[in-house]
Amino acid sequence: MNAAKRMIPLIIAWIVLLILFRMKVHTFLARDNMIDLVQQISVNAIIACGMTYCILIGGIDLSVGAVLALVGTVTVSVLSMGDPTEQSILRLGLAICAGLGVAALFGLFNGFCAAKTKMPPFIITLGSMLVARGLALRINETPIRIPAQDSLFLAIGNARIGGIVPVPVIIMLVLLALGAVLLHRTRFGQHLYAIGGNREAARFTGIAVGRAELIVYILCAVLTGVAGMIHASQLYSAEPNSGQGFELNAIAAAVVGGTSFTGGVGTIPGMLLGAVIIGTLDKGLNQAGVHFSLQYILKGLVILAAVYMDVRRKRQA
Amino acid sequence: MRIKLIGLLAVCCALALLAGCSQPSQGGGGAAPAKDAKGGRLFGVSYQTMNNPFFVELNDGMKEVIEAHGDRMVTLDAQYNSLKQKNDISDLVLQGATAIFLNPVNWEGVTGSLAQAKQKGIPVVVVDAPVKDADLVLCQVASDNLEAGRLAARKLAEVQPESKVVILHSSVNKACIDRVDGFKEEAAKHPGFTILDTQEGKGTTEAALPVMRDLLARFPECNAVFPINDPSAFGAISAIESAGKLGKVLVVTVDGSKEAVDVLKTGKLLSTSAQFPREIGRISAEKVYEHLDGKPVDKEVKIPVELVTRENADSFLANKAKGPSK
Repeated sequence: MNAAKRMIPLIIAWIVLLILFRMKVHTFLARDNMIDLVQQISVNAIIACGMTYCILIGGIDLSVGAVLALVGTVTVSVLSMGDPTEQSILRLGLAICAGLGVAALFGLFNGFCAAKTKMPPFIITLGSMLVARGLALRINETPIRIPAQDSLFLAIGNARIGGIVPVPVIIMLVLLALGAVLLHRTRFGQHLYAIGGNREAARFTGIAVGRAELIVYILCAVLTGVAGMIHASQLYSAEPNSGQGFELNAIAAAVVGGTSFTGGVGTIPGMLLGAVIIGTLDKGLNQAGVHFSLQYILKGLVILAAVYMDVRRKRQA
Repeated sequence: MRIKLIGLLAVCCALALLAGCSQPSQGGGGAAPAKDAKGGRLFGVSYQTMNNPFFVELNDGMKEVIEAHGDRMVTLDAQYNSLKQKNDISDLVLQGATAIFLNPVNWEGVTGSLAQAKQKGIPVVVVDAPVKDADLVLCQVASDNLEAGRLAARKLAEVQPESKVVILHSSVNKACIDRVDGFKEEAAKHPGFTILDTQEGKGTTEAALPVMRDLLARFPECNAVFPINDPSAFGAISAIESAGKLGKVLVVTVDGSKEAVDVLKTGKLLSTSAQFPREIGRISAEKVYEHLDGKPVDKEVKIPVELVTRENADSFLANKAKGPSK
């Protein structure tokens, strides 16, 4: 309905981009290049899914980049414990649980502070961003290489199903599908829109605002944790310094995809389209040989244009 | 109304892009050859950062050779983000680049990208900083960093045989590790040398300054410092200056940037072992062309460094672009 209609201009803009880049780069629409495009946006789209929830309820999570680095570092540290010559499912399971556990703890902390204190989420997550970054560097100052025999963990980021579809793409699609169902097909999702629309009104209608907030921040952090594992796996190592600026990429994807910064408006398919458009821009500008300085300018203008459109539309409504 | 606005946006987007795409890739100046497929082969470069004059010069050297062959070059900036570097390289590979030059953000983390390029038969030349998987690349071109360290220690020994030295390290960087190894190796040959301590200066001015201040307070006998690059040398010098120990604590470093040569002339810096980024760029590009012509290429190419002091400062600056004099 309305949400679907709002995506039409974005789809048009995307198609225009594809045509433009195809004119410039004749291999642009090749199957491999398009699969690679989806692969490249997977980390950002998974984080942006959580970010969309946060922005939707009028919050924000700046800690995602640092949490991504921390999760990677924790996971790979656990992986490199014990006998490094043999792959152990137990250790792999432990490593993944440890990584996601750490992420959930940060989400819990962010959510608790947001729900129970009067601190603005911007400041809360600015603080937890620094804490997470510091912890990651505390564990190891330099990258930790993933032991080469951990082929299962390396597969998370690098394997291709049937030699064609990258595993990160599958993970992303599954998570986004679940995320979309949660937001668009459940009562919980309805509550999030209500909270973002008018927090006090939502409270008066009996919605447990604090609890919903807590869940949103935990979800955002855990999704970031999954992205962190893909990220580490793709880079064959965990980098305590990685992920800087990832929060801004995720916010950009959400906002270009129609999520409103004032809360209450935004969809998961829209966010995915936002991530796809930014990814297409990145790839296309790279392949068209546009100087990197000009790439920043164009990306900035696209984000500005998208937000301007959003604001205009709201005033007309 | 809404649809109109949206159409307008799409058109603006398109125009901006067209304007962007039709502009020749900027940089070293000179008329760029035609940019389409007909304009020669495509070469891609991915740097860990372009926020460093060293890489800008290196890139210019590369561009010089590539454009002289009538080919074109795309320069990408990873901004210290290894995921962006991975994506950038994959864009270049899928576009069918003839060869890729790589300056890695994470020397272990680029394995996947190297394997991807290898699988497609695209040669990769690593510039300035090494990668772990040397067997996946065509060759690695870098300054002779060991020699840079040795030269610094030798100069110091010549001027002040009884030196009590502190080192400002940047220990995550392989090039800097080599410089310190070279320095220590040469220092061991001089019985008058004592190395008091090695601390992290992170290779930047702002990080080196407070570290050097603390070291000076801790070791009143300290009379020399080896900061591993020009920026950290500037930090060290300003700490020495504020402690009133100018001339009492000698500074020898590595890089040979224009700024450092200016400081050399004031006498606050004793020497800098100069690297030749433009030459690194040129040689890297030449290696690729040799490979494409079917000639064998050395796995490792070391570009000589040169000691610059107050005496040869001016002639060095005048000749820097030409490369090492040897």
